Amino acid sequence: MNPPDDPRTDELLAIRCQLGERAAFDALIARWHEPLWRYLRRLGGDDDTAADLVQDTWTRVLRGIVALREPASLRPWLFGIARRVAMDRLRHTYLWRPDPDVELDDLPAEDLPADIDMAVLDGAIATLPVADQEVVTLFHLRELSIAQIASLLEVPVGTVKSRLFRARRALRSELVKSGEFP
Amino acid sequence: MNESLETIRAMARDHLSMKARVGYVFLLLAATTMVVIVVSLWVTEAHLPARTQLAFGAMTGIGASWVALAAWVLGSRRPLYAVDRVIAGRLAVTFTTVFIVGALMGLLGGGGSAAAAAVGMGVVMLGAAIAALRSARRRFAALSARRLELERALA
Repeated sequence: MNPPDDPRTDELLAIRCQLGERAAFDALIARWHEPLWRYLRRLGGDDDTAADLVQDTWTRVLRGIVALREPASLRPWLFGIARRVAMDRLRHTYLWRPDPDVELDDLPAEDLPADIDMAVLDGAIATLPVADQEVVTLFHLRELSIAQIASLLEVPVGTVKSRLFRARRALRSELVKSGEFP
Repeated sequence: MNESLETIRAMARDHLSMKARVGYVFLLLAATTMVVIVVSLWVTEAHLPARTQLAFGAMTGIGASWVALAAWVLGSRRPLYAVDRVIAGRLAVTFTTVFIVGALMGLLGGGGSAAAAAVGMGVVMLGAAIAALRSARRRFAALSARRLELERALA
């Protein structure tokens, strides 16, 4: 028996959906709803936003899967849609004014390894206070600047910086414990 | 999250409803047929009064709007999956064949140039329907073959 994360499992699922097999859509939702929800929960910041975002994501998936050119790329395709949905919503919902004076370089250096295991990172982020989780999630997706996050969360830029600094320090500590950080 | 999961499942069931999908296929076929009939009458009747021309134009516009709506829904809102496309192709072939038979009967019954135009446009529609059905069958066969291959590999 092949492991469930065999990419061919996703390809098969995508093809069954493209064929129009109703049971395949149930299987697709059963397999991918929770990972998408968790991903969007992190991006959206709360359960209600995540529920809205995941619904929009599934709407686009149901409409778009028939045109998916590479069924083997189901996984990145799903998360690409989720990410676009979240970013559209966040940009639309929150009016932000980028502050050109604030640069990432202003932050204390507590960078995370680029090749970090996402499951371990998820676990480490989950140990942080909720406010810090939001900041570190938004920042480490590399989509929102400090100024954008400040506007999104309606807090001063300095607060974002201090939360991010605290969160990264706590993350580093967690990751050192888990052996992910040198 | 469980509530959200149930919402998504319900949404998927609604989205995948065959009734709604086939309904739009019928709308597309019926509206296309209406446009063909009206245009056949319009272009083959000589010396039509301005009011009649206006009425034909309005009917053509209305029919074309319905065609556009159905095509938009089937193209982006409720897209046809491979099996649906085969069903839609068969419906289209059946529908256009019936239309041609009707137009031929009209022609034989003295329908004149309007009936002849309808037959001609019906033949074009039938050709398009057959092409769509063949394309849908090829797509269905290709996906089914890959599915079988993957199922064997993953067994």
